[in-house]
Amino acid sequence: MDTLKLYWKSMGILLKSQLQYPASFIMQTLAQLVMEGGELLAVILIVDRFDSLNQWMPGDLYFFFGIMSVTFYLTEFLGRGVTGAFPGMVRSGQLDTLLLRPRGVLTQVLCSAIDPRRIACIAVGTAALILGSNMAGVEWTPLKALALTEAILLGTLLVLGLFLIEAVLCIHSVKSVELTNALTYGGRSACQYPIDIFPRPLRMLFTVVAPFALTLHVPAAYILGKPLYGWPAWTAFVTPLAGAAAFWILYAVFQKAMKFYRSTGS
Amino acid sequence: MMKAYLSAFRMRWKMELQYRGAVVGGVICQMFFGLILIALYRALYAGKPQTMPLSSVTTYVWLQQAFFRMLLASDADLLDKIRTGNIAYDLCRPLQLYGYYYSRVMAQKLLGSLLRAAPMLLFAALLPEGWGIRLPASLPAFCAAVLGLFLGLLCMCALENVTMGFTMRTLDSRGMQAMLNLLMMILCGNILPLTLFPESWQKVQKVITALPYAQLLDAPIRLYTGERALSAAPAALLLQAAWTAAIVGLGLLLWRSNQKRLILQGG
Repeated sequence: MDTLKLYWKSMGILLKSQLQYPASFIMQTLAQLVMEGGELLAVILIVDRFDSLNQWMPGDLYFFFGIMSVTFYLTEFLGRGVTGAFPGMVRSGQLDTLLLRPRGVLTQVLCSAIDPRRIACIAVGTAALILGSNMAGVEWTPLKALALTEAILLGTLLVLGLFLIEAVLCIHSVKSVELTNALTYGGRSACQYPIDIFPRPLRMLFTVVAPFALTLHVPAAYILGKPLYGWPAWTAFVTPLAGAAAFWILYAVFQKAMKFYRSTGS
Repeated sequence: MMKAYLSAFRMRWKMELQYRGAVVGGVICQMFFGLILIALYRALYAGKPQTMPLSSVTTYVWLQQAFFRMLLASDADLLDKIRTGNIAYDLCRPLQLYGYYYSRVMAQKLLGSLLRAAPMLLFAALLPEGWGIRLPASLPAFCAAVLGLFLGLLCMCALENVTMGFTMRTLDSRGMQAMLNLLMMILCGNILPLTLFPESWQKVQKVITALPYAQLLDAPIRLYTGERALSAAPAALLLQAAWTAAIVGLGLLLWRSNQKRLILQGG
């Protein structure tokens, strides 16, 4: 609990420091808004030309886009330390100072950065969720709200876990760290559309290796009333746990990798 | 005079070659993105086939992915120099600043995209029909497309220098640059092929294909796939050349007026 308090406190301080330059902050947030709006625009244009995607209607597609976008950018917002700052910390040797303090390394990395500009992307995602659920005529029940919350929370854990792979590679100073982008950003691009439209290898990749499908798509399909692969309703509450499991495994790998960490010395 | 620009080009080219290793991860990642996009279009086509054949869409996607670097690479050195005031040293050179930076950014974009395009197009050529890249419509069409691609490169470098010109005035143009980048990504057909924009937008489509952004990659790709017939090729290439000349002119004016009122950042 103490750790959580520490985290929120750091977030508050970082947020304040970011807001010291309001003009620059507003401009960059607007840029983010336009960027994510452009992504949504692509879906809108596709819907205009193709009407539907297999059994998925336009409303469903906006909903899938929204749940992915909210999850991914919530992670980038609150977990910027892992999703953006970590490689620089290894390169500059800043990570050394974290090893001396009586807290876990991951906690401190998470406490070290925030990216409030992403609030714009989250807003676009939320708008897509609302638009999608209205168009698809979703009748909200407490259970469905619970499924959505669970999916988004465990989804952020999954994304955070995937970015930990990049962190691990950085520690071992392996080249071509960009390869992990295929899982993180690639996962976002692919899984903003429902998983069952993809051919088998891609489906396996995003179900087993980077389980976006289990964490986000199964609950989303349940909420939309079109269960994925006809699975029963209870699966929508169980399969998202795959996101937490992935995070747990990758966190263990990260811990192991930290034992190999050698300072760059600068 | 020309020799100086050539050697600026050559120096930058050699520097870019130093980072071959870093390219590999990026290329594999880009291929993966290409595959995802094509899988999506295949699923869309399965539901509602379009007048434009699927193989044209896959070809479009691969060519866009292969030359993606051309759109993005920019001279980070110059940005730093503007911010730190070190651009003063460049002003002392007996060269026209515009041409000097034009050749540098051109080397970067040309080599950056060639290094990436070669393995990616090879990979795309090995994929089966409906996934990979199709052969060009004809040999003359191919030649026209290569010429068009080169004109697109010239146009892109000119656009880049206009952005840089604005950066010199405002110092921090990250917000504006991000918006311009997005506009470019949409209007050059990177996010969604321009040929798949809504059918009801006939008039808007015409305007979009006439804009400079469509001259970068969209125009050459249409020549390659044969969607723009060979007889229309001269007009298409002429349009590209005209835009390039206009944007170079705009950039020159901008840079020249910047040099007159330039305030160096001390530090």
